[in-house]
Amino acid sequence: MITRRHLLAGATALGGASLLPSIAYAKGSVAAAIYPGTWEEAFRAIVAPALKKKDSIDLELQPLFAVDQVAKAKAARGAPPFDAFVLDPGPRITAIEGGLFEKLDAKKLTNASKLPAGLVDEWGVGVNAQVVGIAYNPKKVPAPKGWKDLFSDPWVSRLGITGFQTTFGTVSLIEIAKVFGGSETNIEPALAELKKVLPKIAAVGQPAAMPGLFQQGQCDVIYTNTQTVATLKGRGVDIEFVKPETGAITFLTTLHIAKGAADADNAYKYIDLVAGKEVQEALTKPPYNFVPVNKDVPLPDYLPMKSLDEMSSFIRHDWAKINPLRAGWIEKFNKEMAK
Amino acid sequence: MRTMTPPSPGGATSPAEGGGKRSVLAEWQLALPLALAFASIFLAPLLMLVGVSFFNDDKISQPGFGQWAKFLGDPFSYKVIADTMLLGVKTVGATILIGYPLALVYLDASPRVQKVLIFVIVMPLLLSVVVRTFAWIVVLGREGVVNTVLMQLGLISEPLRLLQTELGLVISLTQIEMPLMLLPLISVMSRLDPNLRDASAALGASRWRTLFTVIVPLSMPGLVAGCLLVFASSTTAFISQSVIGGVRLIYLPLLIWQQSLVVFNWPFAAVVSIALLISVLTVVSALSWLGRRSGGYVHG
Repeated sequence: MITRRHLLAGATALGGASLLPSIAYAKGSVAAAIYPGTWEEAFRAIVAPALKKKDSIDLELQPLFAVDQVAKAKAARGAPPFDAFVLDPGPRITAIEGGLFEKLDAKKLTNASKLPAGLVDEWGVGVNAQVVGIAYNPKKVPAPKGWKDLFSDPWVSRLGITGFQTTFGTVSLIEIAKVFGGSETNIEPALAELKKVLPKIAAVGQPAAMPGLFQQGQCDVIYTNTQTVATLKGRGVDIEFVKPETGAITFLTTLHIAKGAADADNAYKYIDLVAGKEVQEALTKPPYNFVPVNKDVPLPDYLPMKSLDEMSSFIRHDWAKINPLRAGWIEKFNKEMAK
Repeated sequence: MRTMTPPSPGGATSPAEGGGKRSVLAEWQLALPLALAFASIFLAPLLMLVGVSFFNDDKISQPGFGQWAKFLGDPFSYKVIADTMLLGVKTVGATILIGYPLALVYLDASPRVQKVLIFVIVMPLLLSVVVRTFAWIVVLGREGVVNTVLMQLGLISEPLRLLQTELGLVISLTQIEMPLMLLPLISVMSRLDPNLRDASAALGASRWRTLFTVIVPLSMPGLVAGCLLVFASSTTAFISQSVIGGVRLIYLPLLIWQQSLVVFNWPFAAVVSIALLISVLTVVSALSWLGRRSGGYVHG
């Protein structure tokens, strides 16, 4: 006869047994913020399966732009909605100032030695380099030589610009300011020149809309990064990248562990995996077209350099100086450009 | 709240009335959880928004009126408010101009055609506004459908500039917001007694006179509801405003986004948000008042 005790014991044993495979298999998860679009697609297709295979960790990706990640983590006040950030230099400094990162222990990263000097610091790891310059449609306009060309025909009437909302927009406008006598902290000359040619300019758009506007022929010259150029080219768009005569711009995209992360150990494994040769090499291939940072990964041929060492000659910017000025620049851009 | 307890004859307090008082209390208590839920979901965030706007610094540590002074002291703010409200008015005007005749067509259609029309009207709502907005880039672009057709017909020699103009934005918003105008309009017009039109005709009124003296006044509540929805939605349509309008056309939602997510100046973003809220509420209240008056006129 089956007694209540037998039934309970049986049910407990059955329940316990059903948990066993998952305990033995999954070693937990890690929640990582990721840029929407190409980054999200690439990390879902390459990083998530690789992390599951190597460390039995489930990667939960949360698509958020850099500024959204910082805003969410700030609002969460110590209980971050994800374990790892992916950030550009500007938001990275904002996050450091806001105390949003856990300090990084480089000893926990097996791939740290494979990255060029300076890519691993106490706050995070550089896992991708972005190279910014000028993109143009070779069937519509000749190749411009540099930033100054954008302000004369035939380029100016086909030019599409964005403001200071993004990293690539900000650094491009700084470089434009420099060729007209400005500096990293003085963008006035760029705004003055833009105002002169404003009625001619083909598009003043939001950063996210620019690839679409280029694809639809609304503009034929934009400032953007090599990754966007390679992605559009892969879709059959007539587009070429030009390294301006004053030099291409570069900045790093970095991964960080959030302060108060629920799965900090898994976040280390995730970051280490992204910096590793296999993942970096896979991310470099089309349709993702990332610029790798691991020294063991060969560089793709569409990049304006033959080796990672060459990137040291590219233009970099000091975001500690730029960040405090950026709000004023955005306000000024709004007022100068408003109809 | 009224109770269902009938009054006792002679005004004397009866046990039944005592029971009525208890039921009043019980009903009031029943509404409490909902009231608390409303307060926590709607009122608390709004109060927090107002609270945050009274801090001078982006770290939200120094209380003061600095952000309000900055916003109210800048003529650019008034221009942006006026442009935002004007965009709403233009979109409302365009949706009425196209939507009202469409609603009349619906009114005269057979039940089978009406079903098809309702499907066509509701279908855009099932698509993401992002998809609809990006579709407008393809339509209005330099090499888009409109310019290609006009060029091939020989009507223009140079492509028209439609994207990143207010005209292009109003055109796209008119299509995007059209279901919000049509649905309340059709809902009210469908309830009109068809005999009213016959009666109007029998009394010698022309079709135009019937339209303006019978149908339009009776459909006014639906029209006002549609105007409210289209106005509130188009003035806050951040995606369409920024993608179709670009960065040269600056409206309040763009300022809020820049200040909260790019610059992280939450107090200033709160000030702009409150300005948007007040501006939209003012126009919406005026429309509601108009709606109540028109309701009184029709039925009174």
